[in-house]
Amino acid sequence: MAEPAISSFDVLVIGGGAAGVAAAAELASAGLSVALAEQRPTLGGAYHRQPVGGSARQLRGQRQWLRLLRGLAGAGVEQRLGHVFIGLESDGIAMLDDRAARRIRSIKARALVIAVGAIERVLPRPGWQLDGVMTSGGLQMLLKETGGVPPGDLLIAGSGPLNVAVAADLIRLGRPPVAVIENGNPFARPGAALRLAAHPGLVAEAARHLARLASARVPWLRGSALAAIERRDGRLRATVRMPGGGSRMFAADIVALHDGIRPNAFGLPAETQAQPIVVRAGDCREALGIRAAVADGRHAARQVAAMLAGTVRDGSADRKIGRQRRAQAILHELFRPVDGYGLAALPDDTILCRCEGRTVGDLRLMLAETDAPGLREIKLNGRFGMGLCQGRFCADAVRDMVAAARPAVDGGASGPLSRDRWPLRPASIAALAADDELQEGK
Amino acid sequence: MTTGSFAWRGATIPFHPGESVASALMRAGVLQLGQDGAGCRLRYFCGIGACQSCLVSVGGTIVEACLTPAGDDLNIKAVEDEDG
Repeated sequence: MAEPAISSFDVLVIGGGAAGVAAAAELASAGLSVALAEQRPTLGGAYHRQPVGGSARQLRGQRQWLRLLRGLAGAGVEQRLGHVFIGLESDGIAMLDDRAARRIRSIKARALVIAVGAIERVLPRPGWQLDGVMTSGGLQMLLKETGGVPPGDLLIAGSGPLNVAVAADLIRLGRPPVAVIENGNPFARPGAALRLAAHPGLVAEAARHLARLASARVPWLRGSALAAIERRDGRLRATVRMPGGGSRMFAADIVALHDGIRPNAFGLPAETQAQPIVVRAGDCREALGIRAAVADGRHAARQVAAMLAGTVRDGSADRKIGRQRRAQAILHELFRPVDGYGLAALPDDTILCRCEGRTVGDLRLMLAETDAPGLREIKLNGRFGMGLCQGRFCADAVRDMVAAARPAVDGGASGPLSRDRWPLRPASIAALAADDELQEGK
Repeated sequence: MTTGSFAWRGATIPFHPGESVASALMRAGVLQLGQDGAGCRLRYFCGIGACQSCLVSVGGTIVEACLTPAGDDLNIKAVEDEDG
């Protein structure tokens, strides 16, 4: 019986976005052998998603990306594209699902740098599970991939600067959205606006986007909230609560939702200095956006290189990272929802966990029980966060509802709803079986 | 620059070289991707492989449409249409 084919590297970097590519190049230039795994067939991550079909469109940040790629090319990093990280086995072997070959690949590395980016926060709203509803980032991925916009009218809602950026992208592509619904009101936060002046790059970007919205006459409805989405006569009908207390209706074919970003840290192995060393980099460590990602990737790489060499590196991060942390705090304050979170006002039949079809009312019933369920029971018995997405799109809202109803529930609001478990993604049975054949056959 | 097409529930969906299955379906106006085993409706959502809402069956393997490159003459099925 032959052993499974295991490749060995000093470091395995997971995630081919800005942070992962910067980390991989830095590690390889330090003389370490490096593999870089990326789930998609191309590098780029979300921010530097590359257009297909030889499109020569001008992309935001393309100079930085080409510089990163040049660094990677010269360093001898082994790229594993179309490889989805599904977990770290207890013996320290990383498992990658090679999608094209339909096989699980095993990699033994002395260290892992995990740079799997951010996910968007999307608050539950009635109708957010309907088809035609997507995240604003998801819509932007489509725009970046082909320059094409899905047919029909588009409405953007939620909170944060990304919504304005996506609206500006749509205008540039000749398809302005019917409106941008913004929970916050940045114009009513003069203190935060003043502090933003310390970040002229962000100010210039925001001004460019807002000028584009204004000239295309796209309404940016601040202090308003998307209260519900229904499907009527083959279209989506959105009810928007206006600041004065009234409501407005919008008809659209696509509704894009976005309420901020958070680290995509669900189910990842814990960071450790014992081999295999595990370090997180970029948005999956702390969601600071593209301006911090490269610096954070390089910082993680230098930490790992020092640990592998048995030396201690002082933990102080790059100055750029602290600066972006301050910028994100200002943006957070600028876009803080005017009338709070709104989870308490959601109707009982609002879907909370899409994967398992569990509703806000299902959770309220559990929380009303005299024998208070803990987060573990809410997950195992209530099936919240048990579905395929592993709670990526419901865990925050579930935790907030639990914390509001039961301040003393075990673990408190910061306790994890999901624990590390693998596979991180559903791997196909065929791929897992192919791995078994490798172990038994040959 | 369209170079190929794949089959989706009786329709022919054109795609650009390198384009994902999800992108080609969305440009063609296909928003409904059927239901998963739990009876929840599938649709394109996050675009980065995180939400597991855009699962489709390609050659009998269930994959995220947003991570999977379109290929010429592929027969891509809804999860609910896959036999067994």
